[in-house]
Amino acid sequence: MLLPKQMTRVLVVGSRDALKDTIEVLYQLESAHLIDFSSEEEGFGLGAPLPSSSDASQKLLKLRSLEKDLALEAVEVKGQVEVAKIEEEIATTIIELEAEITGATESKNVIQARISELEAERVLLQNIQGIPLDLELYHGYDSLRVFTGKVRDNPSEALVAAAPQHEVFLAEGGTFVAVFVAKDMAEEAHKVLLQYGFTEVPIPSGKGSPKGQMDRTDEELATLRGSLEEAVKKLEELRAKHATFVKAADEHLSIIVEKAETPLRVGTTDHTFAMDAWVPTQDLPQVEKAITDGLGGKVHLEPLRTMPRREAHGHGHEGAREEEVPSKLENGRTAKKFEFLTYLLSPPKYQEIDPTITMMITLPIFFGLMVGDIGYGIPFIILGALGLRKCTSNEWRIIATLLFFGGTWATIFGVFLYGEALGLHFAAQPHDMSWASLLGVDLPHELSLGGFEIPLGIYSKLHNVQEILYISIWIGIVHLFIGYCIGFYNKSIRYGIKHAIVERLSWLMILVGGALLLLFMVDIMIRGMAAEMTDWRLLAAIVLLIVGTVVAYKGEGMGAILELPGLMGNIISYTRLAAIGMSKAGLALAFNTIAFEVIFAHDYLVPGSNNGDIVMLIVALVIFAVGHLVVFVLAVLSAGLHSLRLHYVEFFMKFYEGGGVEFKPLKVIRKYTIEKTGTGE
Amino acid sequence: MAEPGLIAIGAGIAVGLAGLGSGLAEKDIGAAAIGAIAENEKLFGKGLILTVIPETIVIFGMVIAILLWLNM
Repeated sequence: MLLPKQMTRVLVVGSRDALKDTIEVLYQLESAHLIDFSSEEEGFGLGAPLPSSSDASQKLLKLRSLEKDLALEAVEVKGQVEVAKIEEEIATTIIELEAEITGATESKNVIQARISELEAERVLLQNIQGIPLDLELYHGYDSLRVFTGKVRDNPSEALVAAAPQHEVFLAEGGTFVAVFVAKDMAEEAHKVLLQYGFTEVPIPSGKGSPKGQMDRTDEELATLRGSLEEAVKKLEELRAKHATFVKAADEHLSIIVEKAETPLRVGTTDHTFAMDAWVPTQDLPQVEKAITDGLGGKVHLEPLRTMPRREAHGHGHEGAREEEVPSKLENGRTAKKFEFLTYLLSPPKYQEIDPTITMMITLPIFFGLMVGDIGYGIPFIILGALGLRKCTSNEWRIIATLLFFGGTWATIFGVFLYGEALGLHFAAQPHDMSWASLLGVDLPHELSLGGFEIPLGIYSKLHNVQEILYISIWIGIVHLFIGYCIGFYNKSIRYGIKHAIVERLSWLMILVGGALLLLFMVDIMIRGMAAEMTDWRLLAAIVLLIVGTVVAYKGEGMGAILELPGLMGNIISYTRLAAIGMSKAGLALAFNTIAFEVIFAHDYLVPGSNNGDIVMLIVALVIFAVGHLVVFVLAVLSAGLHSLRLHYVEFFMKFYEGGGVEFKPLKVIRKYTIEKTGTGE
Repeated sequence: MAEPGLIAIGAGIAVGLAGLGSGLAEKDIGAAAIGAIAENEKLFGKGLILTVIPETIVIFGMVIAILLWLNM
């Protein structure tokens, strides 16, 4: 079925001391989507977290801080740990780890602090390197003020006038100055200095020449850096040793906390609990059996009602909460990857067809049509296959899937429809370059296989524009036709057949009428046939258009009339299939021409041909490679995005509403931990 | 038959102006969409759709340009 799975709303009630076991059973079944309890009902209150939660939360808090110290986010952890082992070792391990890691981190921090302190001092010392004074001479005067700092210019002359009793030392380069001045003249001297852009820089305390002090600093820095390295290494060792366990313990504790906090979503009284949930109708017997058998009669499951897809048209607010039936999509392994694209827009409603499958089929075809070149198609396939093998994140996997299938179609269209590789046709062309002329071999236009003539290239993207445009318009019509058909089905199961006819069949008629009119017009305007007013296509088109418009007007009012040009715009929008193929072919042609006609002329017969010049050949090949890489990257962006857009905008608008709720059952995903089978089943 | 050069200029104007029009329309929507996505990442799909809606304008221009070019 293309619709989301049918759901039944159930009420699970039981004695409060059985709540923990009920939660455990539901987590194992993985098919109950809990409805958050709203505290409006009388006599019920929110449940309290299970007692296991606080202990686990505390441990988790400690563990997370340890993880931060170990910088585990950046590490890829492999391997799994058994739950039993974690349970057994966690308490002692956390204490041990805390001692070790805290020690190592602390010593690392202390060393780092000292290093930055010394580095700052070193910079200060660097300033007074050029002044021949010992460090102790800068401090400890009663009648002298010492100014040390940076200046823009040499202030000596100005100082002579302002404060006669002074001594100036200028470091090499003239931007650092040390001024010794009598205390009573200090203020004037400071003013003068300020005019020279003086900013004070303190002199570190110490003894001996700045040079000697600097050497000592350097020495200490060297030893500190050594011990820092050691500390980092020790942390790395700790990380390597404990990463798996810490990650696994984190996961295990998170699961415990999540389970323990489930009662917060459940309504309870002093002695009972009531849990509201959605269960797929198909899984209901199994859930019922697990609850009645597994919990010793303390808990009862009552199916309330199986949600129909049907609903009243334009209904109001009553039962708005009940409205939100979660949609559990049913897709195979390949289609599942495309679900990401559906969710990117919005999850489907419970009452409508999940469009993932349609997208899985047509999206790569559109992509392939736009690229249509074996020279890009095969790299796409390889990239996609590599991506599927290596990538783990959802976003990259969907891109890889799209590249793989899109590349496959691009190769198929590239061989049979366009007969192209890297913008060049296989077989010899009357005016253009082709692989045949470039390599000097004879390539066939057709492939003879068991008596069948299989064409290798029917159309050229740049020479048969009219035909390709015409084909893309028909692709648009067919695509929209499918869209309206799905829309018709959606409306009929949701609001009944009458609404479906008024709102969707009317548009189907308009679309078919328009298509017939197009056929007729093409005959007259392009093939130049005489216009006959009794042509059946014209008559049928007029009838369909008029009836469709009238029915649509009855159903939707003026809006329907306004939407008519919109439908035409939608169809014309599909000409981008041709346009993007064309633009890519044009770019490729430009690069090919530059490489093999302008730089490296390959034809012996052309005057001025530099055939055989190896340097020119290399330059031409480099330009060829870079140019096609550009086209290749652009192909992903433009072809990928535009085929997505054709689906999201033109296609989905005809039937898709979205805005549903994702089915999220109670379940745990274990990545780093293994639970021994046989527990609780 | 009209002058091929003039036809080419006409085709260029058709695509160029239509492209400018699309760009002008899309820039505001795109900016608003990015703002919305910054607040709520789930709006990406809707933002993308709204942003690319005016793109059909440039396709119209391009179809006209191709029709002109075919008559050259």
